[in-house]
Amino acid sequence: MAGILIPFLIFTPWLTAILVWFISDKHEEGLHQFASAGAILSAILSLLLLSQIGDSTISFAKIGPLFGNLSFSTDALGIILACIANCIGSLTVIFSAEYMKHEKSLARYYSMVLLFIGAMSGLVLTANIFMIFFFWEITALCSYQLISFYNDDPNAVRGGLKALFITQFGGIGLMVAGLLIFGYTNSFEIGRFIQAAQGGEIPANVLGIIGFTLIIAATAKSAQFPFFTWLPDAMEAPTPVSALIHAATMVNAGVYLLCRFFPALEAIPGWKMTILILGLITILISSLMAIFATDLKRVLAYSTVSQLGYMFAAIGAGSVLACQFHLLSHAIFKALLFLCAGAIIHSCGTRDMYKMGGFFKKIPFISVTFIIGSLALAGIPILNGFWSKELILESIHSGTPIIIYILMLFSVILTALYTIRCVWLVFFGEPRSDLHVHDAPFLMALPLGILSLGTITSWLVFEPFSRSLSNSLPLYGIPKETLSELVSKIFWDPYTFLALGMVAIGILVWFLRNKLPLHNSITRKIESISLNSFGFEAINNGVVNGINAASEAIRNIQTGSLNWNIFGMLIGLICILIALMIGGL
Amino acid sequence: MPMNPLFWLLITPIICALILYVVGRTIPPDDESSPNKAAWLSLFSILLTVVPFVLTAKKFTEEGPVSLTAGMITLTFDGISLLMTSVLLVLSAMVVLFSAQYMVAEDHEEKFYGQIMILMSSIMGLTTATDIFNLYVWFELMAVSTYTLVSFYRNRTESLESGIKYLVQSAAGSVLVILGTSILFGLTGEVKISAIRESILTSSPAVIAATACLLIGYGVKCAIVPMHFWLPDAHSQAPAGISALLSGIVIETGLIALLRALSAVSHAHLPLGTIFLVIGCINMFIGTFSALRQKEIKRMLAFSSVSQMGYILLGIGFAISFPASAQNAEGIFTHIFNHALMKGLAFLSAGALVYCIKVSKGNHEPLLLDDLNGVSAKYPLYSLAFTISMLALGGIPLFAGFISKWQILASGIAAQRSWVAFLIALAGINSVLSLGHYAPPINRIYRHVPNNDEVAVSPKFQQAMIIPIIILTVAVILLGFFPGITAGITKVASETLYTMFY
Repeated sequence: MAGILIPFLIFTPWLTAILVWFISDKHEEGLHQFASAGAILSAILSLLLLSQIGDSTISFAKIGPLFGNLSFSTDALGIILACIANCIGSLTVIFSAEYMKHEKSLARYYSMVLLFIGAMSGLVLTANIFMIFFFWEITALCSYQLISFYNDDPNAVRGGLKALFITQFGGIGLMVAGLLIFGYTNSFEIGRFIQAAQGGEIPANVLGIIGFTLIIAATAKSAQFPFFTWLPDAMEAPTPVSALIHAATMVNAGVYLLCRFFPALEAIPGWKMTILILGLITILISSLMAIFATDLKRVLAYSTVSQLGYMFAAIGAGSVLACQFHLLSHAIFKALLFLCAGAIIHSCGTRDMYKMGGFFKKIPFISVTFIIGSLALAGIPILNGFWSKELILESIHSGTPIIIYILMLFSVILTALYTIRCVWLVFFGEPRSDLHVHDAPFLMALPLGILSLGTITSWLVFEPFSRSLSNSLPLYGIPKETLSELVSKIFWDPYTFLALGMVAIGILVWFLRNKLPLHNSITRKIESISLNSFGFEAINNGVVNGINAASEAIRNIQTGSLNWNIFGMLIGLICILIALMIGGL
Repeated sequence: MPMNPLFWLLITPIICALILYVVGRTIPPDDESSPNKAAWLSLFSILLTVVPFVLTAKKFTEEGPVSLTAGMITLTFDGISLLMTSVLLVLSAMVVLFSAQYMVAEDHEEKFYGQIMILMSSIMGLTTATDIFNLYVWFELMAVSTYTLVSFYRNRTESLESGIKYLVQSAAGSVLVILGTSILFGLTGEVKISAIRESILTSSPAVIAATACLLIGYGVKCAIVPMHFWLPDAHSQAPAGISALLSGIVIETGLIALLRALSAVSHAHLPLGTIFLVIGCINMFIGTFSALRQKEIKRMLAFSSVSQMGYILLGIGFAISFPASAQNAEGIFTHIFNHALMKGLAFLSAGALVYCIKVSKGNHEPLLLDDLNGVSAKYPLYSLAFTISMLALGGIPLFAGFISKWQILASGIAAQRSWVAFLIALAGINSVLSLGHYAPPINRIYRHVPNNDEVAVSPKFQQAMIIPIIILTVAVILLGFFPGITAGITKVASETLYTMFY
C-alpha cells in the first residue's frame, strides 16, 4: 500500500503542476479550482499514508551506479512531515484562491507551489541520500521562484536570489556529506550509513566532516545562525507562500536532516554541542530582532527563525522527540499566524504594524485566530506550543549545562515580549492610521479555522506521535510516552511554572514599558544593532560586493587584444612546463 | 573498404556537402522568406548519415571497435567515437532545423550548410584517429571549417575580427601541436598512439616538452584557461546555431583530441591527473567570474562553457588520478552529452528570442540582459526553454545538468580520499556562484513590464524554430529524470578512456 501511496504523493502535485502550467492564466477560476483539487487530493493521500507507518524501506528501482536505489522509508519521521507539508499545503492553496485573485502569472504561482509540495514529500520520504539532495535542491528552486514571484519588484528579486544563494550554499554541505557517505559505504542508503557509522566502519575524521557539513546544510536551510538573514528577506513572497514554505515546511528540512542522521552522528565529539549553541545563539539574536521589527511579516519571520532555534536546541540536547513535536506544533500555529497576517495585509494593504492598531473590533474572526496562534507561540497553556516548548525546555534542563537552560529561560521572556507587542500593535490600542479592513471571506476563513482548531488540539496526538516514532525508528532511542505521562510530567514539574513565570514577565514588560527604565542608551544600542541584523547584513553585502569586485577584476583579463591572447598561451605553456617538471622529473 | 560502415560514416557528409552546395547555389529558394533548399538537404544528409552510424554502432556493440585501414592510416571507431558521434548527430540536426528559419535570406546560405557537413565529417574523423599525425590533420580540418562559420557575417567588422582572433590563436596552437607531435615521433619513431604509449615509460625533458606543447596546442580549442580568450568573441559573433555547435561539440572534440594525444604519454609517470584537477578548478572559477557581470547573453553563455568545461576537466583529473574514479568515469561523457543539449538549448532559445526581437527587423545587435525583460508574455515557449536551459546549466535538479555534475563528483569520491571532498566543495561553490549569472535572466524574463516597446511590436512565433527547441527541452528534462537513457554509450566511452590511461 505504501508502495503505491508514496509515488502518488509525489506525482499528484507534480502532475497537477504541469497541467496547471498548461491551463494558462486565461482561465483564472479553473486554475484556482484545479490547483486546489490537486493539493487536496495529495493531502488526503498523505493522511492515508499515516496508517502505513512502519520500519520498512521500499525500493523501486536502481537509478544508476552513482545514484543508488529509488527507495523510500515508511517511518514516522518522514511520513508525519509529509503529512504536515501536504495538509498545510492544501490549506494554503485554498487560501490562495482568495489571496491571489486577479494576480498575473497565476499558472506559474500554482505550478511552483505544487512542485514544492511534491518535492517536500519526496525529500522527507526518501531513504536515499542522493534523492534527499535532489528534492532538497528542488525545494530551493521553488522557494527562490516564489519569493521573487513579483519579478518587477527589485526587493523581491533580491530576496529570492539571496535565499537561493544561501540555501544552495548550504546544499553544498549536504552534497559533500552525501558523496562522502557514498565513497565510504559504497551505498546511498541512510540505513546502511547509520549501521556503518555505529559499527565504526567509517574513519573518525571522515565521519566528523560528514557531521559538520550536514550542520552547515541544516543551518542554511533552516535559517539558523550564521545563515539566518535570508528568511526575513524571503517575506517578499506572497503570504501563503511564506506560510507554507518559509514557516511550516521547507525551513524544517534542515531540522529534519539532523534528526534523520542523528543516530549516526550523535557520537561525534562536539556535534550535539555545536547544534545546541547554534540554536541558542539563533534564538537570542532573532528574538531581539523580532522585538524591534516593524514589519508584521518580518516579526513572524524572526519568530520562525527563533522557533527553529528551539528545535535545533532540542536536537543538541539529544531529544528528537521534543524536536519533532515542536516541529508539528510550530508548523500549525505558524502557518496560522502567517495566513492571518496574509488576510490582514490583503485587506489593509500594508505590512507596517505602526500603521495598524485597533483591528480587533473591525476583524474579530482574524483577530481571534491570530491571537490563538500567538498564545501558542508564546507558550501559553494549553495550546500546542506550550506542550512542545515545555518538552524542549525539559530536555535542555536535564541534558545540558545549567547556563544554557538559564539562557533558554531568558529567551522565553523575549518570545513573550515580541508576541504581545505584535498582537497589541495590530489589534489593540487606538488606530494609528485610517486603514480600511474587512474580515476574511469564506475561502480565507476556512483554512484559518482549521488551523486554529489544530493549534488548540494537536497536542492531543502526542501518544500516537511518540509511539509511532519510537516503533518505526528503533535506532533513534525515542521514548514511548503516553499523553497522561506528558501531562503529569509537565504539570508537576516546578520548572514549568518557572517558564510560565518568564512568559508572564515578558508580557508584563510590554505593559509596563513606559514605567520601566527602558529608554536608555543600552536599549537604544541594542535596538540599532538589532535593526542592522547584528551586522550580518553588512557581512552579506560585503561578500556580494567582494564577489562582484572579483568578477570585475577577472573580466579585465579578457582584453580583446590578440597579442594578449597569444601571451595567455605562453603563460599557460610556462605554467604547464613548470608543473610537469616538478611532478615528472 | 566500401563494405565498411565507418567509411560511409565519414564520407557521407562530405559527399552531401558538395551536392547540397551545388543545389543550394543553382536552385534559388521559392521566395525571400523561405529557406534555401540546402537547409532541407542538409537535414536530409544528417538523417542519411544516421544509417552508417547505426550500422557502425551495431558492429561496435557486437564485435568491439570498428577499424578502417587505408594504407598506413588506421581509423578506429571506439566508445568515445560512439559518444561523440551521437552528440554530433543530435546537435547538428537540431541546429540545421533551427537555422533553416534563422538563416533565411542571408547571403551564401548554402555555404553555411555545406560547412556544417564538412565540420561533421572532421569531428567524426577526429574521434576515430589512432595516430597522432592523423589526429592533427582531422583537427586542422575541423578548425578550418569553423573559421568561416564563426565569421559567417562577412560584412560585419566584429564578426571578422573575432574570426581572425580565433584563426590566429588556433594557428598558434597548431604550431605547438605539430611541435609536440614531432618530438614524440622523433623520440619513438612511431606515430601510432598505442605504440608510443608502450615505448615511453619514463619521463624525460623531451617527453615533458612534448606533453606541454600538446596540452597547450589542443588546449586552445577546448578553452582551457588561459587559452580561452578567443571563445567569447567567437561565440558571440557566430550565428546562433554555430555558437551552439561550437560550445556543444567543437570544444569537446578539442578535448577528445587532447586526451587521445596525452594518452600517448600516459605511462610516462607525469602528473597529468593533478594538472587536470588544477586546470579544472581554474576553468570553473574563471568562467563563472567572467560571466557574473556579463550583460550580453551570448558572451555569458560562452563564459559558462569555459566553466562547464572546468567540470569535465575535473572529472578527467579524477579519472587520470585514481583507477577507482576511472572505472566510474561515465560522468565526464554524460556531461559532454548533456552539456551539448543544454547549451544547444540555451543558444537556440536565446537565438529565437533575438531573432524575433531584433534580427527579423534587420537589427544585428547582440541580445542584452535588458532585452529579456518581460518577454515571457509574448514568447512563453522560448522563455520557458531558455529558463530551463539556465536552470539545467546551473545544476538545478529536474534537469540534465544536475545529474551529470553529480556523476562527475561521485566518481571523484570513489577513490576514498578525504581531500577530494575539498575539491567537491569547490565545485559546489562554483555551481552556487554560477547561479549569479544563470538566475537573473530568469527573473527578467518573468517580469510583467517589458524593457521597451520592441517586444510588443515583434513578430509572433517562428514555427520552424519551435521544433528543435521543444525537442531539446524535452531531452533536457528527460535526462534529468532518467540518467539511464545515455548510460549505454557513456559506459563504453568511459571504458575506452580507461584503456587509454591504464
